Amino acid sequence: MEVPAIAAAYEVPVSRSLRRRDPRQGTRWGRFVLIGVALAFLAAFVLLPLLVVFAQAFSKGIGVYLAALSEPSAWSAIKLTLTVAAIAVPMNLLFGVVSAWAITKFQFRGKSALVTLIDLPFAVSPVIAGLTYILLFGARGWFGPYLQAHDIRVVFAVPGIVLATIFVTFPFVARELIPVMQAQGKHDEETALSLGAGGWQVFWHVTLPNIRWGLLYGVLLCNARAMGEFGAVSVVSGHIRGLTNTMPLHVEILYNEYNYAAAFAVASLLAFLALLTLAGKSLLEWRQPELKHGTRRARADLEK
Amino acid sequence: MSITLRGVTKQFGEFAAVDDVNLDIPSGALLALLGPSGCGKTTLLRIIAGLETPESGQVLFDGRDATSWPIRDRKVGFVFQNYALFRHMTVFENIAFGLKVKARRERPPAAAIRRKVQSLLELVQLDWAGERYPAQLSGGQKQRVALARALAVDPEVLLLDEPFGALDAQVRHELRRWLRRLHTELHFTSIFVTHDQQEAIEVADTIVVLNRGRIEQTGIPGEVYDLPRSAYVHRFLGQVNELRVEWREGRAYLGPVDISSDPALQPGAGLVALIRPHEIDVVDESAGWRATVRDVRVIGPIVRLELGAEGRPPSEPLEAEISRERFDIGRFHVGQNVGVRFRRWQIYPADAVLVSDAAA
Repeated sequence: MEVPAIAAAYEVPVSRSLRRRDPRQGTRWGRFVLIGVALAFLAAFVLLPLLVVFAQAFSKGIGVYLAALSEPSAWSAIKLTLTVAAIAVPMNLLFGVVSAWAITKFQFRGKSALVTLIDLPFAVSPVIAGLTYILLFGARGWFGPYLQAHDIRVVFAVPGIVLATIFVTFPFVARELIPVMQAQGKHDEETALSLGAGGWQVFWHVTLPNIRWGLLYGVLLCNARAMGEFGAVSVVSGHIRGLTNTMPLHVEILYNEYNYAAAFAVASLLAFLALLTLAGKSLLEWRQPELKHGTRRARADLEK
Repeated sequence: MSITLRGVTKQFGEFAAVDDVNLDIPSGALLALLGPSGCGKTTLLRIIAGLETPESGQVLFDGRDATSWPIRDRKVGFVFQNYALFRHMTVFENIAFGLKVKARRERPPAAAIRRKVQSLLELVQLDWAGERYPAQLSGGQKQRVALARALAVDPEVLLLDEPFGALDAQVRHELRRWLRRLHTELHFTSIFVTHDQQEAIEVADTIVVLNRGRIEQTGIPGEVYDLPRSAYVHRFLGQVNELRVEWREGRAYLGPVDISSDPALQPGAGLVALIRPHEIDVVDESAGWRATVRDVRVIGPIVRLELGAEGRPPSEPLEAEISRERFDIGRFHVGQNVGVRFRRWQIYPADAVLVSDAAA
C-alpha cells in the first residue's frame, strides 16, 4: 500500500504549483478589469455603430436596400470609388516602394526632410489638403487659367478626386516598408550585386520577396483609406451626382436628404468593403509567419 | 588576381575610416585584415569589393585601375558575417542565383547549372541540403552555403567579412581549417577581415594589422607576432605584461631586473617594456624577482600563473604561461613564493602604449 502514498506525496506539490500565480500576470482582478474595460469600450464605440449601420440599412427590407444600391447615382458613386482606389493605390504602391528603397538603401542629403514630408498627409487635416488643390488647380488658382485655356478639368472632376486621394493615402505603403527594409539592411542586396545581378534583378528576386508581406499590408491599409476618404475629396469633388460623387460623399448627400435607409445601405456597402480589407489584413497576419517560405516545410522536417 | 591599393582613403564625415592605405596583395594570397572594431578593416574590404567608393586613391586589379568598376564586373565573391542567405530560396536556389541572373547568352543551360550547384554542394559537404531553406540550417552550414554561393560565379577574389565571428569555437576551428584547404585547392586570392588575432595567425599567409584606418604592420603571421613593429601590434597580437622602465642612478630597471644593456633604451624618455606571458620564467624564490603565486589555471598543455611581484601594485599582477611539464616539476601552488625572470622583452615609448590603449 505504499505506492498510492508515494503518488499522493508527489501530487501535492504539483497541484500547489499549478495553483501558484504567474508573477507576470498581476492580480486576477486587475486583469479582469483591464480586459473588461477594453472590451466594453470597443463594443460601445466600434461594434455598436457598425451594427447600427447594418440594422438601419436593412430597416425597410431587402428590396429597398437593393434598390438604393442599384439606383444610378449610387451605382456611379460605387464605380467612381473603385476607379479612384484603382488609380491611387498603384500610384502609392510605386511611390511607397521607391521612397522606402531610397531612404533605407542610400545615403543622401535631405533624407530626413523626405521622411518628414512622407508623414505630412498624416499631420495635415484632409480638408486643408483639398483646399490646396483648389488653390492650385481651381478656376482662380495658380494653374487655373492654363487649365481652362486647354480645357482640362481637375477640380470638381475625377482627376482632382484622384489627386486628393493620392495625397491623403501616400504615407501608408512607405511607412509600412521603411522599418521592414531598415531591419533587413543592405547585405542581401549587396550579395546579389556581387553575384552579378543587375538592379532590376536585385529588386525582383531579392528585395521584393523580403518585403512582400509588409508591402501587401501597406497596400491594404492604403486601399481602405482611399475608398473611405471624405474630407479632402469633399472639397475638390463639387458633389455632382452621378459624376463626381464617391461613396462617402453619396452617403452624406442621401443622409442630408433624410433618405436614411438608402444612406445606410450605401454606408453598409462601404463598411463591408472596409471589413473585407480588415479580414484580408488579419489573414495576412495569420499566415505571414507560415508563408515566410520554407518555415512550414522546416517545421514538417523537424517533426519527422 | 593580384590587388594593389594606392593611397586609398575613405572618410565618413570627419572620421577617416581608411587613411592613405597602400598595399600589394599578390595573386593567390590568403590575407587577413586584422584590427579592433572601428579600425577600418571592413571598410577597406568593402572598397576592394566595390561596395564603397574611396574619396581618393586607386584600387588596381591585375594592374588595371578598377576603382570605379561596378561590383558585378569585379569578379569578387563577398561573404558577409551574417551570411546574407536569401531566406525565400532553397540552398540550391541560393547557390544557383549568380548563374541564373547572368545574361541569356552567358547563362549556362539548366542542366549545367544543376551539375555545378551539385558539385559545389559536395565541395561544402552539404549535398543532402539542396532542398532545405536557410532557416533549417545551423550557423556553420549557412556559412558554407554562403561560400558555395560566392564560389558559383568563379570569382577570382574571395572577400570574407568576419567569416567565423558568429560561430561557436568548435565549428569555427573546423571551418578555419576547411577554408585553408579550399584556398589551397582553388587558388583564388582571399582576403578576410577579423578582430581575432588567433584566427588571423591560424588561417592567413599574410597579416595586415590596421589601426585607425592605417596599416601598422604587414607580415607573415610568425613575424608579426614575434617582431611587432609597434606597441600597438605587440599588444593586439596576444597577451602582454606591461612594465614601466625605471631609471635609478643612470641604470634602467624593470622592477629589480637590470636591463641597461638593451640597445633600444633611450635615456630620459618615458619607456615601457612589453613582455608576453610565455616570455616569463618562473624560478626559485632566490633566483629572480620575488613574487607570490596568486592564481593557477591549468589550460591543457599550458599553465597560466598570476603572480604578485614585490613592489608592484596588487592590481597589476604579472601573467606567466609555462609548459605543463615545467609546472609538474615546479609544483606551483597559490601562496607560494617564487622568482620571476624575463627571457625576452621589447621596449616602446610609453605614450605609444597609451595611444593604442585609447584605440582599443
